[in-house]
Amino acid sequence: MSLHPLFLNFVDQGVPVDTIRYILMFPLVVTLVAFFRQVVGIKAFGIYTPSIVTFAFLAFDPGGLKYGVAIFVSIILVGMFSRLLLRKLRLLYLPRVAITLTIVALAILGILVAGGSLHRTGLASVSIFPLLIMITLVEKFVATQIEKGDKVALILATETLFISLIGYFLARSHIIANFLLSYPWIILFTIPVNIFLGRWRGLRLSEYVRFSKLLKS
Amino acid sequence: MFHFLESWKKSRNILGMNARNLDYLRPSNKKRARRFADDKMACKRLLAKHDLPVPALLARVRTAEDLENFDWSSLPGSFALKPNHGFGGEGIVVVYGKKKDAAEHTWIKADGSLVTVEDLKTHIRNILDGSFSLANIPDSAFFEERLKLLKLLKPYTWKGIPDIRIIVYNRVPVMAMLRLPTKESGGRANLQQGAIGVGIDLASGTTTTAVWGKNRIIDRVPGTRMVLSGIRIPFWKDILKMAGEAQKVSGLGFLGADIAIDRDRGPVFLELNARPGLSIQVANLDGLKGRLERVSGLAVKTVEKGVRMGMDLFGGEIEEELEEISGKKIIGTVEKVKLIGKDGKEVEVEAKIDTGADSTSIDTELARELGFGEVLDFFETIPKPQTTDRTALSALSDEYDKKYKNAHPDLAGIVFVYASNGFTMRPKILLSFFLNGVDISSKASIVERSNLQYPVIVGRKNLRKFLVDVSK
Repeated sequence: MSLHPLFLNFVDQGVPVDTIRYILMFPLVVTLVAFFRQVVGIKAFGIYTPSIVTFAFLAFDPGGLKYGVAIFVSIILVGMFSRLLLRKLRLLYLPRVAITLTIVALAILGILVAGGSLHRTGLASVSIFPLLIMITLVEKFVATQIEKGDKVALILATETLFISLIGYFLARSHIIANFLLSYPWIILFTIPVNIFLGRWRGLRLSEYVRFSKLLKS
Repeated sequence: MFHFLESWKKSRNILGMNARNLDYLRPSNKKRARRFADDKMACKRLLAKHDLPVPALLARVRTAEDLENFDWSSLPGSFALKPNHGFGGEGIVVVYGKKKDAAEHTWIKADGSLVTVEDLKTHIRNILDGSFSLANIPDSAFFEERLKLLKLLKPYTWKGIPDIRIIVYNRVPVMAMLRLPTKESGGRANLQQGAIGVGIDLASGTTTTAVWGKNRIIDRVPGTRMVLSGIRIPFWKDILKMAGEAQKVSGLGFLGADIAIDRDRGPVFLELNARPGLSIQVANLDGLKGRLERVSGLAVKTVEKGVRMGMDLFGGEIEEELEEISGKKIIGTVEKVKLIGKDGKEVEVEAKIDTGADSTSIDTELARELGFGEVLDFFETIPKPQTTDRTALSALSDEYDKKYKNAHPDLAGIVFVYASNGFTMRPKILLSFFLNGVDISSKASIVERSNLQYPVIVGRKNLRKFLVDVSK
């Protein structure tokens, strides 16, 4: 790997290479999310959530992806469960989300404790940053539940997980990372790509399924 | 490969999200106009100002203070409570009657459950807090008149009120669908939530094909025997005009107008939509993009003109479709027929299409013209039965038919006809004719019809290939 001269200075001053790598990866990951929305038709929870979850997954590395996914899934399950629980109380929105977030935080704590007692060191050593990111996922999830119903929220959560996983494998690729560290200006290429995506008028892949009856008729 | 190409060609006709947002919403629906669609009260005021019918406003709750001071006894027995910035039918409470002999005000919902003042207060607090608005922006609530379900649509509807969504672009209504609430949709007329969308032929206001939820094509209301095609929407032209007017006054260039039909008041606006969904294409089994492209760029000066164009451009397919499905042609009650005479002579006359008659009959005069004079003369020589007793006659009928069939080369049989004016004995001949381009060989009876309007009656036996539309 040959660092671009621009970064040599940073690294000398103690900026971790991983930080530079992730920053360079960010445009790639968000472009990926945009691509999935406009061309494939996978919506997920907007652009922020899937990209940030991607980096949360990366923070579980090395070898921690399974814990990342497990925590993601448990958060969604706990979110659904608390909605059922809180529905009867008929609370206003923010207090309700606050309680949900509390339950989720406790659940994660429980997972960590359980992981510790089972000597899953990979889980126990996870930093707070990815955990907090995952917890904020709950607000997106709860808001969608209220606005569009459980089913839609669950679909969007699955889509978010899917995009984040693809983003994870993309961002983890050493070939791409090394290439970007050597030729950082390449990331500017995502701008014309996004201009193209932003003017893409064609049907999304998902719409070919949605309108399959029209295509056949 | 050919199939793939065909599909791809069809896909060019379909409006997807990307094209909708880029080519239609952005350029056509400016922010100021969108406000009317998102703010139900502003929309109501705007429409009412231009004398367009909207449900009557009963009361409005803007703040927590309003709520505390609210006079609950001012509410009638039935009403709808709505969040001003709600969407997708969320947060709407509809009550149908007031519970008598209750200590405090209590209303009854469609499912029989009770709603107390305390329930309403909690719900309104949630509305004020923005629980049902986009991005949870604090909202206001309002009470409005509850619309009453049209009898015609009752058997198709599960609770709730069906409505008609009309897409208007460039002042031309381009596509429409009837939305029927179902159990799955919880009584809401929203396809995403599981309502039924039924396509409408714009020319006649008659329903065509239907989709349930997002993608399931259906013929009948699930769980019932109610066929969804062929429903005639009343006030159709008025509804199209209203949608056109709404576009004019709202300034929404790409508008989804939602109109319900109240049992007493007729068509009433429910709301205007600045981001109409795309499922209407599945309900109509037709793409929007193709239609929008046909309309864009046309100079449409008045609403009336736009409505006329929409009806002409995007209607009238129903008959063709029906013909395709049933394999039968649609004819009216009076049709031109071309009769083929004995020596190939063709005579064209108007015929009455009579589903009450068993077989076809033609006038004596006409029969002679076609070259059946000889057989008529022969028929005159056959002695008529002397009895008028019906049972005796019906016994004779077979005997006569057998005896005289082919007694003359043109005589295909003899038939006894009992009508209100008595009994007649008629000769039958083999006659071929063309009706709506279809070649028909019939056994026609000959009878004196000179005093009647049409010299030919076409009866049931020769109508098997047709459907009769009495309005035609």
